[in-house]
Amino acid sequence: MIGNARRMSAQEMAAATFRLREIGIASALGLAIVFFSIRASHFLTVGNWQNILQNVSIVVVVAVGEMVVVLTRNIDLSVGSIVGLSAYLTAATFVHHHGYPIFVVALIAVGIGVGLGLVNGLLVAVGRIPSIIATLATLAIYRGIDTQITGGENITAYQLPNRFLKLASTKPGGVPTLAWIALAVALLGAAVLRWAPWARDFYAIGSNPDAARFAGIPTTRRLITAFMISGGLAGLGGFLFAARFPTVDAVAAKGFELDVITAVVIGGVNVFGGSGSVLGVVLGALFVATIQDGFILLRISEFWRLFFNGFAIVVAVTLNALLTRRLQDALRRRKADVLEARHREAEA
Amino acid sequence: MSRVARRLLARWEIVLVLAIIGAGIWSTTLSPYFLKRGNLLDLVTPYVFIGLMAFGLTFVVIAGEIDISVVSTLAVSVVCFAQIFDSGVDVWLAGLAALAVATALGLGNGLLVGLLNLPSLAITLGTLAAYGGLAFVVLGGEGVASFPNGYTQIGGGYLWRNQLPVALLVLLGFALLLGLLLHATRFGRYVFTIGSNREAARFSGVPVARVRVSVFALSGLLAGIGGVVYVGYFGSARADAGTGSLLDVVTAVVLGGVDIFGGAGSMLGVLLALILVAELRNGMQLANIAGETQDIVIGALLLGAILAGNLLRAAQADGALSGRLRPRRREVVDHEAADSALPPSLET
Amino acid sequence: MSSLIELHGISKSYGGVQAVSEVSFGIEKASVHALVGENGAGKSTLVKILTGVIQPDEGRLLIDGEPHRIGDPQTAHRLGIVAMYQEPTVFPDLTVAENVFAGRQPRGSLHAVDWGAMRLEAMRILDELGAEFGPDTPVLGLGVADRQLLEIAKALSSSARVLIMDEPTAALSPHEVERLFATVRGLQERGVAVVYISHRLEEVAAIADVVTVLRDGRHIETKPAAELPQGEIIRLMVGRSLDALFPKEDAEIGDVVLRAEGLTRRGVFSNVSFELRRGEIVGLAGFVGSGRTEVARSIFGIDPLEGGELWIDGRPFRPRSPRAALRRGLAYLPEDRLHQGLVQPMSVGTNVSMAVLPELTPGGILRPRRERALARRFMEQLRIKATSPAQVVRSLSGGNQQKVVLGKWLAAEPRILLLDEPTHGVDVGTKADVHREISHLATQGLTILLISSELPEVLGMSDRILVMREGRLVAELPRAEATQERVIQAAAGFGEAA
Repeated sequence: MIGNARRMSAQEMAAATFRLREIGIASALGLAIVFFSIRASHFLTVGNWQNILQNVSIVVVVAVGEMVVVLTRNIDLSVGSIVGLSAYLTAATFVHHHGYPIFVVALIAVGIGVGLGLVNGLLVAVGRIPSIIATLATLAIYRGIDTQITGGENITAYQLPNRFLKLASTKPGGVPTLAWIALAVALLGAAVLRWAPWARDFYAIGSNPDAARFAGIPTTRRLITAFMISGGLAGLGGFLFAARFPTVDAVAAKGFELDVITAVVIGGVNVFGGSGSVLGVVLGALFVATIQDGFILLRISEFWRLFFNGFAIVVAVTLNALLTRRLQDALRRRKADVLEARHREAEA
Repeated sequence: MSRVARRLLARWEIVLVLAIIGAGIWSTTLSPYFLKRGNLLDLVTPYVFIGLMAFGLTFVVIAGEIDISVVSTLAVSVVCFAQIFDSGVDVWLAGLAALAVATALGLGNGLLVGLLNLPSLAITLGTLAAYGGLAFVVLGGEGVASFPNGYTQIGGGYLWRNQLPVALLVLLGFALLLGLLLHATRFGRYVFTIGSNREAARFSGVPVARVRVSVFALSGLLAGIGGVVYVGYFGSARADAGTGSLLDVVTAVVLGGVDIFGGAGSMLGVLLALILVAELRNGMQLANIAGETQDIVIGALLLGAILAGNLLRAAQADGALSGRLRPRRREVVDHEAADSALPPSLET
Repeated sequence: MSSLIELHGISKSYGGVQAVSEVSFGIEKASVHALVGENGAGKSTLVKILTGVIQPDEGRLLIDGEPHRIGDPQTAHRLGIVAMYQEPTVFPDLTVAENVFAGRQPRGSLHAVDWGAMRLEAMRILDELGAEFGPDTPVLGLGVADRQLLEIAKALSSSARVLIMDEPTAALSPHEVERLFATVRGLQERGVAVVYISHRLEEVAAIADVVTVLRDGRHIETKPAAELPQGEIIRLMVGRSLDALFPKEDAEIGDVVLRAEGLTRRGVFSNVSFELRRGEIVGLAGFVGSGRTEVARSIFGIDPLEGGELWIDGRPFRPRSPRAALRRGLAYLPEDRLHQGLVQPMSVGTNVSMAVLPELTPGGILRPRRERALARRFMEQLRIKATSPAQVVRSLSGGNQQKVVLGKWLAAEPRILLLDEPTHGVDVGTKADVHREISHLATQGLTILLISSELPEVLGMSDRILVMREGRLVAELPRAEATQERVIQAAAGFGEAA
């Protein structure tokens, strides 16, 4: 009887851990909102929230892709450069082919991203280069290519078709179009991660890479796919970026990867892979965007934002690790009790 | 190829020397100005601060970890130095204070990774942002530009009939000093041992935690020295000092033959690799290739270095026992399992 | 009708050590086939061969009468051979159902994962197995017993035909053991053959249909369990004469050097008390999971000690870290010498000097000449065959590697040496050298705690034998009274009220 009760608590603890991440970040988000509503006068206005949503949308789109990579126990630092490159090429395409439908250009942007992601995937999965190094290198290489292509010039809003720019200015139903797009991406991402069998493999690979291979999962192929998804969504992000910030130059989206990774880590995706949800990532991105917005309203120096992002990552990683260790300790203690019980029964 | 030549080539440093000579020839074809003595001696001067960071990172990587926050620590050192000096303190004392701060930042990393055993990649990713933000908070957006002449001598001055750059001497001096620390002291031996097999090291009485904390503190200190040198060279201080140099730092370390998985590497290799990187950039600069475009070359070099290393390792492992144990990610330590037939693939 | 699996003349050797030699027997369909033998008898090697992890040097494997070459684990899987180890392989971040169906989830419309069907099927299997957890439970929260059930569920769902269970009951409560037995019988009814490896002979008696006894890599006997009473099994397991392989010299036994009282580490060992005297060789016997290694590790400061006290030379000792233990004169030779005792990519000299570096490096500066001299001294003393102290340890033979580890610890001039399976997997020649050295050390006044699963070694070398079982010290036998049977009986709990 007692044994049963203890077993429950260990299991319950684990189940709680699973949900704890989302609950934790949601609570943090809630606290932040409450805090800023009290301290900042314009925080709760519609206009402000539309602003927050605009800011968060692009991050969400790219973060969903980054999340896929992190699930497999890897990281993609090059997303910022892919966004920048894709943004410029999107704008350039519009400049040279004013008549192209938006959808086609979007596909081109995604295609570029997928290609760049493919390179990443090959380097990591086939070349066996640790993803931190590989994507650090491609971060620089893609940015360099971007600089080459732009040739020091930039593209301005006047050169881009209005229907494209409208993506960033219209607000159907009071919600910015960008946010609707981000929502669609998030929902699609969540659906794929839940129902596509090959996507479930990402979780397995991150949770126990050797066991995954042993179970017959084609890890090399899956890793390449993960990076292609990350690249593709970064490509889409670039497309949206160009709509939002139509003056596109070579430094577009520089450092953007940090915002994305912060959202992913705070959103409860385990840096060791194996667990994480799109909901968490969205909440994480919202949290970061809310803090940023709140800081601006409270006139706190923007420089604190960078510090805050980093601090949040450190805290999130630390908490996650400590939580897992707690759980393992609890399990060991339970095993001890079992053995004790066994001895007592034997000696009785 | 003769046996002597093959044995010589087996030393990576020799390969680097050949590459340096080769790159020199290439640079000369790009611009005859390359071979002028002034240019050659001054080759590394703008890269000394990168070299110092690379030297510090070398210790961390050989110990089996990574520290990508070095560039931010450098930035903090730069701004602290500037602010403290600006407030009237003697320049040398200000420099010392900056070093103290930088070491403290490194120590912060060290305690989280070395003591709490948190994953170094995720943590230093967080501190990269946190320390970077800190730099901005300290200095704000503008820079400080007035430093006494005697001081700027260190970064920008020349000795001996105005020919020999002080910076070069600084670089060589530190390379020698740190090389001795790494290769000729007990501490250095401990670093190699821990990076090679942390468990065996611990079982043999090596003070593992202490050494791991120390290498991060050392990395911070060297980044701090780099910051002080940086100010000396550029004669001014900006909060975004050093951002963008992470690529060169990591390339110098990896190209220098340091095994990214830990346990092997040489300071001489890193020094030579740094010279090679400096030489390549110098050559490209003379050929009017833009900075970001140069990054493409350096990034490709980084990738190439690792791929080459992987190929070499695959060739060596032919017929030999199963390759080196990868660093543990999750600690599943059940030595009793060694008795029951666990498949070798489960030795994470 | 042929057997499900037939082994014919299977032999395998590792670096000079014959792990199994000409083993032949058959495993029948739907049988519970126990595989017993001491540590090192060859059970693990056979399991590795059957699961495709390693290939035999000689011999044939027949599955359903057809010869097969099991080249890798995937092939074994496809043939329906699944193994389950003490530490089950799981995806800790996923749920039970996801674990069971990893990589082969049931599909529904549009080729999407059919979570409903997956859960239902998982639940069905779990119910059959009498599991007390559901398909949605995160595996992270499951204990070892439940994880084992999970592995069995996984095997069932992939239509396994042979399930190899390696020491499955080590961490189970009596209630859980009963449940496991019921599960095993259920598997039998489904036509699955179970290979049951265990040293708990009373369990073997309760569950097995057939028993195969291995000894020293050779097949000794395969008989129906009914025809093999426990006493007979023990006799077959150990029946070898003690030859004069161990030149134990007589050493003068002095005062108590180490005293342990009530050593406890929850879940691992409890209330372990003993004394060690100068010049004594004390054997510590017991099966896998009995806690011997853990006791040594805790004494040496590798793992924390949760209860109990230690005294060295009468002064209290708190084993805070291996460094602290070293300073008090302790040394520990780990079981997994090659990975835990050596740094493979480094040289003999570097490895030998590793524990004494502070002494060899006044001022913190390395002194290569001193290191080389030290290495050469032990290379000679222990007859290590290497070209020079600079030779990389990785390129030495297994036996010589063992000696390098021993040399490292001897260099530290310890007074108490904790040896954990010092000759496990070592060839006969090296074994003799090591034993000679151990015996010699005792005459020099060293105290040795010899953890070993090789009975002849324990009986031949020890002045006294301590026996552990399931974390407790259950017997202490002086040399004169110690026999193989008595040791195994104590270790297996045979003859005690269950």
